[in-house]
Amino acid sequence: MTMLSRVAERVYWLGRYLERAESTARLVDAYHHMVMDIPRGSQPGWDILVRILDAQPIADERFRVANEANVVRLLVSEAEASCSLPYAIQAARENVRTTRDVLPEEVWELVNELYLFAREQADKSVGRRHRQAFLQEVVSRAQVINGVWRNTLCRDHAYRFIKIGQLLERADMATRIIDVGAADILGREGTQQAIDHLLWGTLLKSQSALGAYLRQVGPVVEPDCVVRFVFMEPSFPRSVHFCLRGIRQELPPLKHNEEALRVIERARRKLRRFDRQDWERDELHAFIDDLQGVLSSLHGAICDTWFRVDGA
Amino acid sequence: MDESWKGYRSAPYYDELITAKGHPRTAARGAVKLLQRLPAGDLAARRAAAAAAIREMGVSFTVYTEGGNIDRAWPFDIIPRIIPAREWAGVRAGLVQRSRALNCFIDDIYNRQRILADGIVPAEIVLQSSNYKPQCAGVSPRFGVWAHVCGSDLVRDADGHLYVLEDNLRVPSGVSYMVENREITKRVLPELFENYSILPVDDYPSQLYQMLASLSPRERKRPCVVVLTPGIYNAAYFEHAFLAQGMGAELVEGADLFVGDDDCVYMRTVDGPVRVDVIYRRIDEDFMDPEAFREDSVLGVPGLMRAWRGGKVAIANAPGAGVADDKVVYAYVPEMIRYYLGEKSLLRSVPTYLCSRREDRDYVLGNLDKLVVKPANESGGYGIMVGPHVDAATRRKFARLIEKNPRNYIAQPTLQLSTAPTCVDGGIEPRHLDLRPFILQGREAWVTPGGLTRVAMVKGSLVVNSSQGGGSKDTWIVEGRA
Repeated sequence: MTMLSRVAERVYWLGRYLERAESTARLVDAYHHMVMDIPRGSQPGWDILVRILDAQPIADERFRVANEANVVRLLVSEAEASCSLPYAIQAARENVRTTRDVLPEEVWELVNELYLFAREQADKSVGRRHRQAFLQEVVSRAQVINGVWRNTLCRDHAYRFIKIGQLLERADMATRIIDVGAADILGREGTQQAIDHLLWGTLLKSQSALGAYLRQVGPVVEPDCVVRFVFMEPSFPRSVHFCLRGIRQELPPLKHNEEALRVIERARRKLRRFDRQDWERDELHAFIDDLQGVLSSLHGAICDTWFRVDGA
Repeated sequence: MDESWKGYRSAPYYDELITAKGHPRTAARGAVKLLQRLPAGDLAARRAAAAAAIREMGVSFTVYTEGGNIDRAWPFDIIPRIIPAREWAGVRAGLVQRSRALNCFIDDIYNRQRILADGIVPAEIVLQSSNYKPQCAGVSPRFGVWAHVCGSDLVRDADGHLYVLEDNLRVPSGVSYMVENREITKRVLPELFENYSILPVDDYPSQLYQMLASLSPRERKRPCVVVLTPGIYNAAYFEHAFLAQGMGAELVEGADLFVGDDDCVYMRTVDGPVRVDVIYRRIDEDFMDPEAFREDSVLGVPGLMRAWRGGKVAIANAPGAGVADDKVVYAYVPEMIRYYLGEKSLLRSVPTYLCSRREDRDYVLGNLDKLVVKPANESGGYGIMVGPHVDAATRRKFARLIEKNPRNYIAQPTLQLSTAPTCVDGGIEPRHLDLRPFILQGREAWVTPGGLTRVAMVKGSLVVNSSQGGGSKDTWIVEGRA
């Protein structure tokens, strides 16, 4: 059974937006947690979240000072801003609304409920008191939705394109967090050694990677190991390595996959070259920049091959 | 015992479930008794359960409002409408007869025009109608069928007889709600089914698929059938998705299709272009192909008419089928049946005054307070004047409209639409209703057992359209006696 290009594109974006909603919620939640543990005056600013989400232009339009209230309001409750949680949820909903016929019925119901929940609760959840409960609810609802499609969809094109969308978004987010987060922490080196482990721990937490890291690597959170883990750990489902392998697995059943295969192999080769222990901050940034370029080409190849079918 | 049934009377109207003396009709006896025996308050609880089921199942229709489009939950009344199978057999035969004659008529009009040459139907009435599409002339679709899906509206007058009010031959909708209504009744009133043998309605999508597949221009085991929708903002989008899913067919929008250099229709898929054999069209023909009809249509597929005329793709309903879906042409259906089939019409039509005829017009203008005046080409209940229910100023307005453009208006006596017991806030009251069965016409004809019963939820109102506050009921065709 084949699939309309338009429908494939929409389920792909469903995968991406759902993942974006979940990872944005995790990121803000992890940061919110960390901030409370750090002595006054030593906290890194909230603008780092804006930089991770590539939302500087939107932020500049809305406020002059990137303080906690402004940043959290932007990310948690501004439905119009493309970097916000409600925006991603609403976009996910729009994409399911028009593809209900290829998805399990519960997916529509659950995404719709998530949308209604966010619409009702987001405004109240900007302040610290309700923030965490809200973010965690978003994460767990997103996980339920992921559980439903993973466990009920036939391994057909719908499954393939949601999964590819989800993993590409996840890999993209991981590289951004490492890029901005690691640069930030490394940039502070020497001045705040005492809280560095907290910062690296937060970085892991934002990737749901802390527990896995502690079991796999050990109880000491070290910069090199953290970056390696998030990028390279083959057994960790949120590592970039794992995501790329997952996307690679879904390509063979698709027709005309040559270009996408070529790009994904390029991405995987690039990632394999990341095995040095002692990179410098600038090298790391250049490396990630490159990797993100390849991820973006992969998105382009997917769109060109399967979503834009020419003819008349 | 639920008190709300006490004193239920519908006179002077015919009631579908209760006789004038207040007793349940034979076929309805079991159901009415059971409903009456429910403890007080129970019916309200079942009503709430039905509303919850509708929300959960996501049964909705889209309404256009100033604040944007909203999805409204489907309005549903839990008390079913019950029709004995014996009566239904007659209705069914009448509908099949009608569908055959209407299709003969359409095929004739776009080809030899015998009925016009023989003076049975005046040529100008047909050829000047906006529903006549010259682009379709000379085409012979398979089996000579143009209107593959027909939704005819039936009403029951105070005399107890069913009348055909109109035949919807363009893109009739509502069938998905017929199926969902049964589903909801099964959920909330399962006891009702215990002592009844009720004809099932849920195989409609597979009947539709078989009929559509039989139209395929290519001999294939599983022809590629698609449902063409104008998109999510269409009022019936829910139904388009429902039918596509039920048939295992792709739900496509205009932009998903293109016509190739070989005049075949293709859909854009992740595997590349895939040829389409049959299009179940849920988009108005005027928007179907910007090359042939409205140039400004962005919903359509350029070249689609070319592909259809060349026999490369089947389209249901065929473009142009609406020529028989015209309230003026309606008046001639009994003659058509006689002309093409040599039979007498089995179903009654409502006496219709054509304002284009001088003597009819004079009668209409003199009796506006007793008549229903309808524009010839509107659907959805828009632009209708119910004479006895409007003020003198409105009647004067319609008199002017009729004099200005008589061809565009018809008038019919005001029917005393039948009623059925309906749950409303505060009890059970009679509400007016109609019935829309669906007739599928391929080589053979197939009729839904029952159809969609639409209810005017506002007290005394005769307007049943969901876009104007109408509701619906599950419709049972029951065999034997309960």
